Amino acid sequence: MKEAFVMVGFLEITLVIFMQWQVYLKKIVTTFSLSSYAISIFLFVDGAVLNNTNLLVLSALTAAVRGFFIPSFIRKKFRKEDYLEREIKSVVPTAMSVVLSLFFVVVGYIVYHATLYNSVGLPGGSIPIALLFQGIFLIMSRNNAFVQLIGYMVMENSLFLFGGYLFPELPLVIEGGILLDLNSSGSNRNSYDFRHYYET
Amino acid sequence: MFLYYLPLIVTVLAAAICFVANDKISKISTLASASVSIIFSLYIWVLNNVSTQFLYIDAISKIMLVTISIIYLTTAIFSGSYFKHISKPLLKKNLYWAFLNLFVLSMFFSVMVNNLGLIWIGIEATTITSALLVAIDNNFASIEASWRYIIIVSVGLVISLVGIIFIYDQTHTLNIAVMLKNHVSESRIILIGSAMAIVGFGTKAGIFPMHTWLPDVHGRSIAPVSAIFSSVLLPSALFGIIRISQIIPFEDIKQFMFILGILTILFASIFMINQKYYKRMFAYSSMENMGMILIGVSLGKAGLLGAMILLVSHAFAKSSVFYLTGNILSVYKTRKTAHVHSLVKNMPYTAYGLILSSLAVTGAPPFAVFIGEFFIISAVYRIYGFAYTIIILLALLTAFLSINYKVAKMSFSERNSTQKTKDEWVSALIPLINLTLSFCVLFAIPAINNILKGITG
Amino acid sequence: MLYLLNGLQLVYVVFLSPLIIGIFIKLTEKFESKKGPSIFQPYYDLYKLFHKQSVVPKTASAIFQIVPYVTFSMYLILTLVLPIITAFPLSFGPIVDFIGGGLIFGAIGVLKKIASLDSRSNYSHLGTSRTSSIGALSEPIIILIFITFGVISHTNNPYVVNNIMQTSSQWYFSLVHWFVVFAFFMALLIETGKLPIESHSNNEFGMIDQAIEMEYSGSELAFMKWGGYIKQFLLMSIFLNDFLIPFWVPMKIGLGSVLIYSFVHLLKMLSLVIVFAVIQSTVSKYKLFKNFEYVAVAFTFAFLAILVYFTTGGSL
Repeated sequence: MKEAFVMVGFLEITLVIFMQWQVYLKKIVTTFSLSSYAISIFLFVDGAVLNNTNLLVLSALTAAVRGFFIPSFIRKKFRKEDYLEREIKSVVPTAMSVVLSLFFVVVGYIVYHATLYNSVGLPGGSIPIALLFQGIFLIMSRNNAFVQLIGYMVMENSLFLFGGYLFPELPLVIEGGILLDLNSSGSNRNSYDFRHYYET
Repeated sequence: MFLYYLPLIVTVLAAAICFVANDKISKISTLASASVSIIFSLYIWVLNNVSTQFLYIDAISKIMLVTISIIYLTTAIFSGSYFKHISKPLLKKNLYWAFLNLFVLSMFFSVMVNNLGLIWIGIEATTITSALLVAIDNNFASIEASWRYIIIVSVGLVISLVGIIFIYDQTHTLNIAVMLKNHVSESRIILIGSAMAIVGFGTKAGIFPMHTWLPDVHGRSIAPVSAIFSSVLLPSALFGIIRISQIIPFEDIKQFMFILGILTILFASIFMINQKYYKRMFAYSSMENMGMILIGVSLGKAGLLGAMILLVSHAFAKSSVFYLTGNILSVYKTRKTAHVHSLVKNMPYTAYGLILSSLAVTGAPPFAVFIGEFFIISAVYRIYGFAYTIIILLALLTAFLSINYKVAKMSFSERNSTQKTKDEWVSALIPLINLTLSFCVLFAIPAINNILKGITG
Repeated sequence: MLYLLNGLQLVYVVFLSPLIIGIFIKLTEKFESKKGPSIFQPYYDLYKLFHKQSVVPKTASAIFQIVPYVTFSMYLILTLVLPIITAFPLSFGPIVDFIGGGLIFGAIGVLKKIASLDSRSNYSHLGTSRTSSIGALSEPIIILIFITFGVISHTNNPYVVNNIMQTSSQWYFSLVHWFVVFAFFMALLIETGKLPIESHSNNEFGMIDQAIEMEYSGSELAFMKWGGYIKQFLLMSIFLNDFLIPFWVPMKIGLGSVLIYSFVHLLKMLSLVIVFAVIQSTVSKYKLFKNFEYVAVAFTFAFLAILVYFTTGGSL
C-alpha cells in the first residue's frame, strides 16, 4: 500500500503541475477530474484492504462530487460560452508558477519532516502537505474563478488523502468532508454567477 | 440539561419554518426565535457551567451567546426595514431569513460544543450559510466580494483543519474538557499545529496575514449583514483561537498571537488613513478591534477580561455603525466618503448616532470599549514593556483620528444639496438602541468580571 | 580487439547519423501525406556541400573558419567515450564521465556561439541569444538528471549506469527512474531541436539553433551540419542506452555480440525516430516565450525525481 500511496501521490503532484502549466480551462478541469478519480480509487482500495468504512465513504464522496459533479457542471457552462475556455490573464508568469509550485512541494517535504514524521513514520506523508501548498498556490497564482475553485478542491483532495490515509481513525473526518464538499458545491454555483457578471 | 440546547433548537425551528413559509411568517418566526434565544441565553448566563459529551459551556461561551443573540434580534429587525432598498435581491426574502437563522445557528453551535473538530465544523458552516447573504445585493461587486470571501476563508479553514489534525496527532482526542484536564505537553508538532489553527481561524476573524477578504465583504454587503459579520462573526472565529489558547497555554503560542495582533492593528490603522469608502474604513476598524481582542486573549488574566469587555461593547457599537451606514447609503446612494455632506442637516438622528458610535468603536472614554482597551494596554505594559505599549497606542490614535475626522467631515461639511429626507424611525432607532447597549456594557463589567473569575483567576 | 571496436563505433556513428535524420525527415513528410525526399538525402546534401566553394564574411576572424573543424573533432571524441554499441568502456572511456561529456557538449555550444558572433550577422546573433537563453535554463535539467543518476549508482560513469539499469529490475521499475526518463525525454526534445520547441523552416521566427550556422557555406557548413547529426545521434543513443531501453547492450567484449547489437541499436533508434516523428506531426510549435514554460516543466520533473528518491526512503 505504501508504494501505491507514493505512486498516487506523485501522480497528483505532477497533475497539479500540469494544471499550473495549462492555459485552457477545459484541460485543467479534465486533469482535475482525473486526479480526483485517482485519489478515489486509492482510498477505495485502501479502505477495502483495511476494512475501514470511513475511507470507503471518503472515496465515494471524492468520486461523486469532485470527480464527476463539479467538473461536469463547469464543462456544461463552457459549452454555452466557448470563449470562456481560455484564461486570459494570470498573476504569476506560467514558467515561474511551475517552478514555484515545485518549490512548494519541497517546502511540504521539509515541513513534514520537521513535524509529523517522527510520530507518523511514513516517508510518503509529505505528499498531502505538498499538495496542500500547491493548491494554495494555484489559487493565488490565477485570477479565474473556476481555476481558484479547482485549486481549493485540490486542497480538499489533499486533505482527504491526509486525513484518510495517515489518520484513518480521526473522528469527524466524514462530517468535515461532507461540509467541505457542500462548501465547494456552493462556491461552484457562486463562481458561475461571478463569471456571468464578469462577462456582462 | 435540555435547557442548554434551547437556543440551537429555536433557531433550527425558525430556519425550517422560513424554508417553507411566506415572507411575513418567516420574518415573524425569525424575530420570535431571536427574542426567545435572548431570553434563553440570558437564562444560561445564570446557570452553571457544564461539560458533557457534546456541550462545553463556560463563561466565555455564555458571553458569546448573549452577544450573538442580541445582535441577532437587532439585525433581524433592521433587515426588515432595510429590505426595500435592495432592488433585485439574489434570494427570495424567506430564504434570506432562513439563511440568517442558519448562520446564527452555526455561530451558536460553534460557541457551545465540546470538541475542537466540531468548533471547526461550526465555523466552516458559517461560511456556507453566510456566502449568499454577502452577495444579496446581486451586483458584480458584491458577488466578487462573496467569491473572495468563500475562497480565502475556505483556504484558511483548511489550514486550521490541518492544524487541528496536528494537535490530534499529539493528544489523541479533540474533546476540549479532556484536553484541558490532561494538560497537553509541549512539542514541536503541537506548536506548529496550533500556530496553523490560529492562522486559519484568524483568516475568518480578519487577523493579519489573510485578512484581505474582510474590507471587500464589509464594503459591499448590505448593512445588516455587514453588522452581523463585524459584530459577532469575527468574534465567533476568534472564539476558536480562544479555545486553542486555553488548551495549549504555551508561551510561544501566546507570543505568536500577540505578534499577529500587533501586526493586525498596525496594518488596519495604516490602511484606515487613506480610505475613500466609509464602509471599508469601518471594516478596517473592525480588524483593528479584533487585533486588540487577540492581544488581550494572548495576555490572559486582566487582558482576557479586557478582551471580553471589548468584544461585547465593540459588537454593539460596530453593529450600530453599520446600520447607520446602511441608512446613509440608502439616501445618498454613494459609498464614497467625499460625496457625503451635511449629514446633520439631512438625517440628524443618523448623523449624531454615527458620530457617537464611531467615538465608541474607536475607544473614546465614556464607552466600555475604552475600559476594555485600557485593561489590555495596561496588561501589555506590564508584560511586554513600554515600546510595545507606545506602538499600540500610536496605532489606536491613528485609527481614532482618521475615523472621527472623516465622520465629522461627513456630518458637518456644508454643501448645497437638494437631498431632503427624514430618518425612518425603525432604522434610526435600532442603531441608537445598540449604541445605548454599548454604553451600558460599562455597568455589566462587574458581572463579566464575576463570571470570568474561574478563567482569569 | 578494443581498437577495432573503437573504429567500428566511430564509423557506425559518423556514417549512420545522417541516415537517421533522413529517415526522420522522410517519416514526417509521410505523416503529412507527402512523398518526401529519399532517406539518403542528408548524404547527398553533405556531398554537394563538400564540392562547393566556401564564402567567409569580410568581418569574420580566423575563429570563424576554425570552429567547424574543432567542433566536429570534439563530436568524434564524444563518440568514443559514450556507450553506443558497447556497454563496456572502450579505450577512451575513462577520460570523461557524464558531467565531463556534458562539459564537452557545453564547450561545443560555446565555440559555435562565439563563431556565430564573430560572423557579425544579425540572424546569427539572434540565434545565439535564443540558444543561450534557452540553454541557460535547460543545462540545469541535464545536470540534475546526471546528479540523480549519480545518487542512484554512486558513480557518474555512463557505462556503469547502463550496467546497473540492465541488471537491476528494482531500479529500472522505480519511480525515480521513470521521472528521470520523462525529464530527459523533454530535455532531449530541446537539445535535438524538435517540434514544440523549434521548427526547421526558413522562417526566422521559429529558428533557434540553425540560425547559428547561417553564415557558413561550403565544406564548413557541411561539417557543422554533420556535427549536428552526430550530436542528435549521440543524445538519442544515450537516452536509449542509459535511460529508456538499456537492455541487450553487450557487457562483455566480443566482436559478434557487438555486431549483432549494432543492428538492434539501429532498430531502437528507428523506434525512437518514429516516436519523434509522431510528436513532430501532432504537436504545434510553441511561441518563443512559451518555451520557457516547457523548460520549467522539464526541470520540475528532473527535480521531482530527486524528491521521489528521498520520499521512497533513499538517502545520500
